[in-house]
Amino acid sequence: MEGKKKMSKHIQPYKGTISRNYAKKQIFKTIIGYLLFYATWVVLSIWLIYFFEAPFPSDWLLWIIFYSVVIPFIVLLLSTIWYFYRYVNMFSYEILESDIVIQHGVFNRIRATIPHSRIQNINITNGVFDRMFKIFTVKVETAGSAAAAAGAKGGVVRPEGYIPGLIEPNIIEEKIKERLIKYSAIPSGLDDKIFKPEELAFDNFISYILSKMREGEHLKTTIKEKRENVNMTAAVLAEKVGVPVQTINYLEEGKYNPSLALAYKIAEVLKCKIEDLFKMA
Amino acid sequence: MKFKKKITSRIKQFREGLDLSQLELAKLVGVSRQTIYYLERGSYNPSLTISFKISEILEKPIDKIFYQEPVIKDILEGKSLAELKEVAEAAGISLEKLASLSEIDDEELTSSFNESLLVKIAIELGMEFEDLFEKEVEN
Repeated sequence: MEGKKKMSKHIQPYKGTISRNYAKKQIFKTIIGYLLFYATWVVLSIWLIYFFEAPFPSDWLLWIIFYSVVIPFIVLLLSTIWYFYRYVNMFSYEILESDIVIQHGVFNRIRATIPHSRIQNINITNGVFDRMFKIFTVKVETAGSAAAAAGAKGGVVRPEGYIPGLIEPNIIEEKIKERLIKYSAIPSGLDDKIFKPEELAFDNFISYILSKMREGEHLKTTIKEKRENVNMTAAVLAEKVGVPVQTINYLEEGKYNPSLALAYKIAEVLKCKIEDLFKMA
Repeated sequence: MKFKKKITSRIKQFREGLDLSQLELAKLVGVSRQTIYYLERGSYNPSLTISFKISEILEKPIDKIFYQEPVIKDILEGKSLAELKEVAEAAGISLEKLASLSEIDDEELTSSFNESLLVKIAIELGMEFEDLFEKEVEN
């Protein structure tokens, strides 16, 4: 006998990485931010000098101001480049059978697992900078993230599933949806939970229902031929075995799985063996 | 007239011959262990497909595994000789004739016993006529 068939085909895990364009975008943003800060600082200084009619700073003061801006800028730029390229290299996400696993972090490695069952929606955003670098950000929102956001103190609160720098975000959305459909169709592992423990009271009931559902179609019967060979009508056969004539009709159409006792009675009336009368298809 | 029959199974014997436990057989057939237990006790009338599966696994034809036996045979075999003598006497027949009920087939039953006698015998055995015999349906 073959084992119980898996109710759905196995879905291959999907593993993905993010684009380097994400690092470029972040570096670009940092430069813009720093330049804005620098420009503000310069404009403010010039305005202050004119406002207070102060003497224009001497050469050495200008150099100090220049280096105090430029050196940190270069240091910041280099570390930003290093940080974001490393971030992209270290980032990975995996869409598994029952959850999404996101691993990221440059200094501290963080591994976030989001069960599909907790996913509430999937947001795909494509901001101004994203558009410049042709990337998308996917946010997987879960039932718990609102509470997490409310509880967080300061800093940027990100949804649990944050996957930046995707060139084709639709793939992820499709993969997750594919699994969500499967998840909602068959509660995970339900067949094991119900059918495996032998002592569950439900067992008899379910296996009975399932067997009834599957059975009829596997039976081929020659009742009709045997009955017509001896010129017996369905009604007479029904009366002889003590069942309604509909039962005989259903049996002959192969829509009904009789009890062994009924099969014996019919075999007796038609004077043949059960195996001659019925065959498992 | 016909004997009322019940299905008795030799599942246990064949299963043990194949070195299978109730649980293993149940898994192979795709039913619960309880089903096999009840089948072995003979207190469950299986569906034909389950019977086919069991016959396939035990590699025996269905009528070797599940055989029909007149209900009366079991009852007569369960009585002591003294009890049988009493029943025969009360029904007004010889002990041999009473004992023959556990060997004859439906045709012989119809030819050598009449209904009123069978009703009497059934009552003496502490049963109803319908528990032990069936009336033939007229064509």
